[in-house]
Amino acid sequence: MRLIVADCTVNYRGRLDAHLPRAHRLIMIKADGCVAIHSDGGAYKPMNWMTSPNILVEEDDSLRVTNNDDELLEISIHCRISDTNYDFGDEPSLQKDGVEAHLQELLAINPQEIQEGLVLVKKEYYTDIGPVDLLCQDPTGEYVAVEIKRRGEIDGVEQLTRYLEFIGKDPDHSPVRGIFVAQIIKPQAKVLAESRGIAAIEVDYDHLRGLRRPQLSLF
Amino acid sequence: MKFKCERDVLVEALSTAGRAVSKNLPGLSGIQASLEGNQLTLTGTDRDLTIAVTSQVSGTENGTAVIPARLAAEIVKAIKPGGVELEVSEDSLLIQSGRSEFSIRLITSDEFPHLKPLDSETFTLASEDLAESLKQVVLAASSDDSRPILTGVLLAAEGEGFRLVATDSYRLAMRDIPNAAVLRQGQSVLIPSKALGELNRVLDKSEKVQVQLGETEAAFEVGDVKLVTRLIDGEFPNYRGLIPESHPNTLKVNRSEFLETLRRVKLLARESTPVRLEMSSEGTEMIAVTQDVGTARESIEGTYEGSDLTVAFNPQYLLEGIEVTPGEEITLSTIDELKPALIHSVGVEELLYLLMPVRVS
Repeated sequence: MRLIVADCTVNYRGRLDAHLPRAHRLIMIKADGCVAIHSDGGAYKPMNWMTSPNILVEEDDSLRVTNNDDELLEISIHCRISDTNYDFGDEPSLQKDGVEAHLQELLAINPQEIQEGLVLVKKEYYTDIGPVDLLCQDPTGEYVAVEIKRRGEIDGVEQLTRYLEFIGKDPDHSPVRGIFVAQIIKPQAKVLAESRGIAAIEVDYDHLRGLRRPQLSLF
Repeated sequence: MKFKCERDVLVEALSTAGRAVSKNLPGLSGIQASLEGNQLTLTGTDRDLTIAVTSQVSGTENGTAVIPARLAAEIVKAIKPGGVELEVSEDSLLIQSGRSEFSIRLITSDEFPHLKPLDSETFTLASEDLAESLKQVVLAASSDDSRPILTGVLLAAEGEGFRLVATDSYRLAMRDIPNAAVLRQGQSVLIPSKALGELNRVLDKSEKVQVQLGETEAAFEVGDVKLVTRLIDGEFPNYRGLIPESHPNTLKVNRSEFLETLRRVKLLARESTPVRLEMSSEGTEMIAVTQDVGTARESIEGTYEGSDLTVAFNPQYLLEGIEVTPGEEITLSTIDELKPALIHSVGVEELLYLLMPVRVS
């Protein structure tokens, strides 16, 4: 990421002509080639921009960005106040709070998304060592304890194993098997779960909350 | 710039032009007001879509200024009905009506883009026909900006007329408009569905709409409203290959009754739950089941020809497809529970609505 703070004038020629008069602005040149010009306001949207692929030609007092559609973004730099480069490295995925709880809500409404034929017996089924997220029954009548995580790791499998031991001692809910559910399950967690007879199932959060809509598509 | 007009004229013009105003670009958060004689033109743009509205006013002094769109609209709406006078002086706009007087700062006009007129042939279409067609097709376009091609509506030459096609990859709507040659043979353009949605809002202003299709832009003129939109650059999916040649199963129903049933059963299709149609020679049932909430089941009057089949659909997509399909009788043609189904109006060939089923266990 290259950040240039400069006193500059900007002209854009393309679909429409636009002119930004001389002022102090932040010019962002991203690693993928996108160029964006920001003022000290206007929330997140740049005042002008050119997405990649494009060609950037730089001289001491100007930046000329062109693309295949004959659009031209010309930045005349009257005074370069700062010009710095940063290596951002790889972009980690966005992490949000509350996803785990929402996953639990959505799967309680529709446990068939976990496994065909599952019917919810109790959400937050309490044992002496804590609550298991969902207690369900499969079509054969067997109880199924479901532990839900956003990211499936070994400690989640360990937690479910303890619940299964406890619930298995209850004659009213025995036999019981386990399903470990997460958006993404780490390979080590999958291996551990399988070695203990626990199914490891990844679910699509966007699909569950209706954003991904039907799984079948025309193309 | 100085002029007088009726408040309601200004309210409508500001509202229409304001729909194209950028919500994010500070330099484009205004409406450009331009007065020449007694003709006032208000223009809003976000660079992709531009809407200009021309109104007759009583002009005193010509001029151009960019006024804050939202604030000006709120003020004009709030003042009492009747005459209103607007005057631009240096960097402010004075709005006077009765005992009310507002003075608001103008936006610098340097950043406002200059529109270039399109250098292409003008065609005229009947507004009513276009409005009906847009209503039927635009709904199938995607709102997902990560797939920009699918946010557009394809306008392609077809025989002696043209064809509108939109798809979000889960459904496809296709409408033919015969005997209206607005495109050269083989020509097609991809128009943003947002722009066509806005066009549809103003099509009742005149019986005719003038259309210009350029290389990178399209322009529509309806009465005193002109709408210019950037075209989407890219290749639309090969929609012809998506339409199955034949469907062995056909359910024929009364459209209104089917819609009413669907609206009732849909009440129990919560979250992402689909509605199922269980179809056999003995009858058809529509079912929705949401765990922990309940079940809805209703039998449907109609005739079914084909093999026994249970097929599930996104209830909203099914509802929208049937709502825009004209006629008293419609057919729902299916192949199996995983292949696209076709909704058709009996005896109407111009509209086709293709819908993917939802996989259910």
